[in-house]
Amino acid sequence: MPRQHHSAFSHRCQKPLISRRQFLWRSGGGLGGIALASLVLGENKTLANSGTLSGKLHHPAKAKRVIQLFMGGAASHLDTFDYKPFLEKHHGEKSDFGEPVEAFQNGLGPWMKSPFDFQPYGQSGKFLSEAVHPLGQVVDDMAFVHNLVGKTGVHSQATYLQATGFQDPGFPGAGAWVSYALGTENENLPAFVVLPDHRGYASNGPKNWASAFLPSQTQGTTIFPQRENPIPDLYTQAGYVTEASHQEGIGLINQINQNYADSRPGDDRLNARIKTYELAARLQLSASEALDISKEPSHILKLYGLQGEQRHYPKEINIPEETEYFGRKCLIARRLIERGVRFVQIWSGNDNSFPRRNWDSHENIARDHGPLAQGMATGAAALIKDLKQRGLLEDTIVHWTTEFGRMPSTQGSEGRDHNPYVFTNWLAGGGIQGGVVAGESDVWGYKPQDRSQPSQVYDIHATMLHLLGIDHQRLTVRNNGIDRRLTDVHGHVISKLIA
Amino acid sequence: MISAFFKQLWWGGLAIGLTLQVTASTTDLDRQAAKIILANCFTCHGPDPDSRKANLRFDQPLQDQIPARVLIERINSSDPEAIMPPPKSGKDLTRDDIQILEHWVEDGANWSSHWSLTPLTKPSVPDTPSETSINGHNPIDNFIFAKQAEKGLAPSEEADALTLIRRLTFDLTGLPPTIDEIVAFQQAYHDHPDEAYEDLVERLLASPHYGERWGRHWLDVVKYADTCGYDKDKLRPNAWPYRDYVIRSFNQDKPYAQFVREQLAGDTLYPGEPDGILGLGFLAAGPWDFIGHVEVPESKIDGRIARHIDRDEMVSNTFNTFASTTVQCARCHDHKFDPVPQESYYALQALFAAVDRAERPYERSPAIEAQKASLLKAIQEGKTQLEELEEELETRLGPEMSDKASMVERLKTKIKLKEQPVEYGYHSSIAKSADAPKWVVIDLGESIPLRRIRLVAAYDDYANIGAGFGFPIRFKVETANNPDFEEPFPVADFTQVDFPNPKLATVEFSTLNQARYVRVTATKLAERQNDFIFALAEIEAIDEEGINRATHAQVSSIDSIEATPRWSRSNLIDGKKPTPNHPKSAQQWFTITREIADALAQAKTTKWRQQREAAVETIKKAERKMDRLPPGNMVYAAATHFKPQGSFRPTQGKPRSIQFLHRGDIQSPRHEVTPAIPTSLGYTAESAASMDNQTPESARRSQLALWLTAHENPLVWRSIVNRLWQWHFGEGLVSTPNDFGRMGQAPSHPALLDWLATTFRDSGGRFKQLHRLIVTSHTYRQSSASNSRWARLDSSNRYLWRMNRRRLEAEEMRDAILQVSGTLNPHMGGPGFYLFKLEKTDHSPHYEYHKYDPTDPAGHRRSVYRFIVRSQPDPFMTTLDCADSSQSTPKRDETLTALQALSLLNNKFSTYTSERFASRLEQETSDLKQQVKQGFQHVTGRAPSQSETELFHDYAEHHGLSNLCRVYFNLSEFSYLD
Repeated sequence: MPRQHHSAFSHRCQKPLISRRQFLWRSGGGLGGIALASLVLGENKTLANSGTLSGKLHHPAKAKRVIQLFMGGAASHLDTFDYKPFLEKHHGEKSDFGEPVEAFQNGLGPWMKSPFDFQPYGQSGKFLSEAVHPLGQVVDDMAFVHNLVGKTGVHSQATYLQATGFQDPGFPGAGAWVSYALGTENENLPAFVVLPDHRGYASNGPKNWASAFLPSQTQGTTIFPQRENPIPDLYTQAGYVTEASHQEGIGLINQINQNYADSRPGDDRLNARIKTYELAARLQLSASEALDISKEPSHILKLYGLQGEQRHYPKEINIPEETEYFGRKCLIARRLIERGVRFVQIWSGNDNSFPRRNWDSHENIARDHGPLAQGMATGAAALIKDLKQRGLLEDTIVHWTTEFGRMPSTQGSEGRDHNPYVFTNWLAGGGIQGGVVAGESDVWGYKPQDRSQPSQVYDIHATMLHLLGIDHQRLTVRNNGIDRRLTDVHGHVISKLIA
Repeated sequence: MISAFFKQLWWGGLAIGLTLQVTASTTDLDRQAAKIILANCFTCHGPDPDSRKANLRFDQPLQDQIPARVLIERINSSDPEAIMPPPKSGKDLTRDDIQILEHWVEDGANWSSHWSLTPLTKPSVPDTPSETSINGHNPIDNFIFAKQAEKGLAPSEEADALTLIRRLTFDLTGLPPTIDEIVAFQQAYHDHPDEAYEDLVERLLASPHYGERWGRHWLDVVKYADTCGYDKDKLRPNAWPYRDYVIRSFNQDKPYAQFVREQLAGDTLYPGEPDGILGLGFLAAGPWDFIGHVEVPESKIDGRIARHIDRDEMVSNTFNTFASTTVQCARCHDHKFDPVPQESYYALQALFAAVDRAERPYERSPAIEAQKASLLKAIQEGKTQLEELEEELETRLGPEMSDKASMVERLKTKIKLKEQPVEYGYHSSIAKSADAPKWVVIDLGESIPLRRIRLVAAYDDYANIGAGFGFPIRFKVETANNPDFEEPFPVADFTQVDFPNPKLATVEFSTLNQARYVRVTATKLAERQNDFIFALAEIEAIDEEGINRATHAQVSSIDSIEATPRWSRSNLIDGKKPTPNHPKSAQQWFTITREIADALAQAKTTKWRQQREAAVETIKKAERKMDRLPPGNMVYAAATHFKPQGSFRPTQGKPRSIQFLHRGDIQSPRHEVTPAIPTSLGYTAESAASMDNQTPESARRSQLALWLTAHENPLVWRSIVNRLWQWHFGEGLVSTPNDFGRMGQAPSHPALLDWLATTFRDSGGRFKQLHRLIVTSHTYRQSSASNSRWARLDSSNRYLWRMNRRRLEAEEMRDAILQVSGTLNPHMGGPGFYLFKLEKTDHSPHYEYHKYDPTDPAGHRRSVYRFIVRSQPDPFMTTLDCADSSQSTPKRDETLTALQALSLLNNKFSTYTSERFASRLEQETSDLKQQVKQGFQHVTGRAPSQSETELFHDYAEHHGLSNLCRVYFNLSEFSYLD
């Protein structure tokens, strides 16, 4: 339940009670029941998001859905997943990249080792930093790509590139493409759900999950589980609307709208519009149910770092707060996935304001990356374990990504500047070969080991689509004279990642 | 006579029809073949040399390259190595495709030039087909009817009066007609349908709401928003003057050529005209990366990428908007389908090489300028009066005082701060008004024969005050022997008259009493920055022997800001105080200042004071009014001169060098390109090749504007009439309004498109004339009712055998709700209103939509005036398919989603306006049944039937009128237009 808005708590906590009541009367019968029983969907594409490729995938799919974890502000590969003994050995020495380097700010100080210790985990013996140690328990399910390269060190463009495949605005998010291709498995919930960092949006905000030129129902639906209306306008806040006035009102609306539709034959939209009111009622129902984690057993809550205590967090960034916020989103993601949502995107890190609550650690890696990474790793590890124990991991891709990496040299004395020249992604589940590394960075973690063969976001997207049964070159939509793809004119499936 | 005229047309039309038919079949074949080749072959055999295989390109005559039959041999080959397209390409030709290609090759494998690039000539108007029983109203109908006859279709009957007035009022103004308007029109229409209809058209075209509706269409295309987008999504507080310019241009019926020219090069082509600057808001309307410009210099790769992307946006916005051409495809390679070589793309970037997006000044509207002038005059008059009063005073004071005044001025320039200790002194807490009580007392510990009390003013640069900081304007000094000052000895009393600020001088008062306590009481506080304080650096109590006895005193005060080491009570007696470089001059200056002040106090008579106060009040009032004039006269537009911000610096008009970038990569520059106007897009200007890198930047843009708006440019005129058509009918004659290239759609009615384009162009490019033509056509006035017979032949209604029923757009929906509920504030123009709560503006602004207050009247204006946030768009409006300002939106989506239902049912705006609607109805009539009926009529335009009334009445009786109004806003009949 919400707990970070102390002053408004008593006011805010009333709403879930009302929604629970609504839940009861809707399941109790009446119009809600009739609507549920009589609803026929699927004929009208403008209404039901059935997916352009449903039933005609390009090849058999290994995965059915995706959970993407997006680290806003640019998470350091060097302090999490990409271990560099070189930096430990040469810590504090003058950095030398063997070529002139253009830093985003002034981050070309001496070499800097990670403030976190690294040790090997799992069968694969993959080295992870202590900041992400919870992921050590599932490291053998994870596949790492350490040689990703970006195009710029500017947050907005880099975020666009990783989120939409293009570095300027106006393109659909990856989730919108997947939703466009595959549709939803549960028409009572959106196909693509986004759980933003509720303290603020990362660069570009909702444009990262927009539908752009795809049909608008493919856009990411933002859910703020902490808010009174987790989905905008899911419930009314007007005092004069009672359950009865609402229920009978919908009945009246549908009756009059049905007459209107009947007197105008040949226009599917008019009947479809009536169905949207039925669908809305079911969305209210499904969403409240999907977001209600109160019935989760305590061992599950514990797994995700949600001990259930009401707490006030200190002003400074801290591990318990990050753990709870990220863990809650991971648990909700699992619940959404279980109920047929196709693509869930979880954001860690808000806008670049101060004090920092994102990964843009120009000043101090230990201070910001410590809590953020630990919180993220607790939630992500729980998610992987939980999906696995439910048999969902095998057809659910978990993908961890960020804007770009950070430099192996220092900025100030404890921070790291932007590094668009190399960074890390990892994937798990959904046909991904666990325990492998597909692509290494160089000895410093400055650029790819093999500079002629870097990986790019297009390759990640191509691989993701491939596992979902989609040929990334054939999923196209014409817009303004160009057949657009998620992968632009690039992209190769990274075969080493595939089990 | 009429029939003779038609007969003549008919024969003429027949002859033309025959020749056309022959050409048409070739063109059709050509088009069909082109479609197949585009989809299947162009990737490897198109205009792009980098991806071209076997040096074969299908965009140019085939015979010059290979024998045409080779094509047929390869597509029919059974050899997997030879067959085309190759199996691994994933492309596959159908039997029909192959047949068409075979015919095309037999026919000579010819390409006619692409339809949109062919010269524009006015086609003759076809005759009304003999089988059409309906009379057309104007040539549009002739074109439409002719095509229908060709397809075996026929037009529908004219719609009824209510449908017509609702359709037309929304279409031209974006608002619903009122009940009175409907009733009046129905009456008039019944008597004289055509006249009534034409009157209605004229009334609506003359309404200022017309510009609000049609300006919004334009803003969709050009990506207008009030924030920058990208990271941070910073505000653009002065984008709105461009939005108002667009609305005004539509209302003024500005010729299209002028409208285009102002938006690309108004500064050069219309010098001195405000619209010449305001129009340049077009080039700045799209997204802009704050970080990439302000925080990253152009010397860095990331800075260059940001500016490259920015110019690309300007080029593509210009060509997509005005020429329906997707030049941006040529950023990384030659355009794969259209004649835009990569070189000419970069030549276009060079046209915009000197401009950035920034605020620049423009003149205001004449009305506001006049208001400003009259206010300035009032201020000036007030100031003159003040001067006269001063002169009067000077005369009264005589020459001696004027000598003293000049001496004071001389001394003042000499005196400077020499030293300022870390300990500033005593600082009271901050008061909201000057008369708040403030005092300090020092307790000398024993009763002492005092002779002098000295006060030293504090020094603090806060708010640029410096010397004399916090020294009271009125005060008194007293001594006493008991702490309560029961029988005080007055030392100085300036509670009735202002005391001059001593600045760096020491103020000294004599006393003859023996006393233990010294108190300074401020009765009129010094102003700091919209607030008031009392501060002093030091109090000294000098005894008979000239010794300061205060150094060990205890200090008390009514309050104190203890901000050590600078401010503390104990600093008042620590002997540390600001010192001037010339203490003697400082004292002398202050002595004379006081003499002048005393003389002035005597010379200022009551009458003089009153006159002065009146003059001051006049000035203040006028200044307040000035402040309330529309803020600033800046517009966010294309600019070469502006205030630098971080790394974002103006070019001062010097164009950047534009490099040809291999694969569009900023790190692979090949050579510098020369600015040039395209020569391959239908029309070549005589001056096309006249530019070089020395061409001034403004000339580059103006040449582009002149080329685009040339009489001979086929793209621009076709593009705009197609947009207008689409905004009336929901579907363009060309259904890809931003793309008239080979990847776009061919026109459904090519002759009509060209007829409209030439008619529009040749009659001055006036929108209102084109609207008249379109909306008075029978085609527009048809019923939208479907008909299964025609629907089977043409389900998408491409041939317009009925009108298209449409849903209200987001703005129409919101505005209609406002109007119907009696909440609409029709005020036009000015800064956008917020539909969110704005927080944390210093860094990354947060636009908190869920905290929006729907009762705030600021939000009750028409939606076109809302403040549009680019990266974080309004969820309510987005749900209703409003335009996305991150991309050009030539055509709105019309989706149906559950979220729409939820928004209309539950959004705070909907539920609040439902209540307002109910109160409106309650004011209009007291009878519930009447309220129910009236409400329905406001919403749909018609009276409810008996059974409907009963249903609604029952519901309202049980749940109240507000709930019924909420139902009304959710009716399909409200949100659809027949």
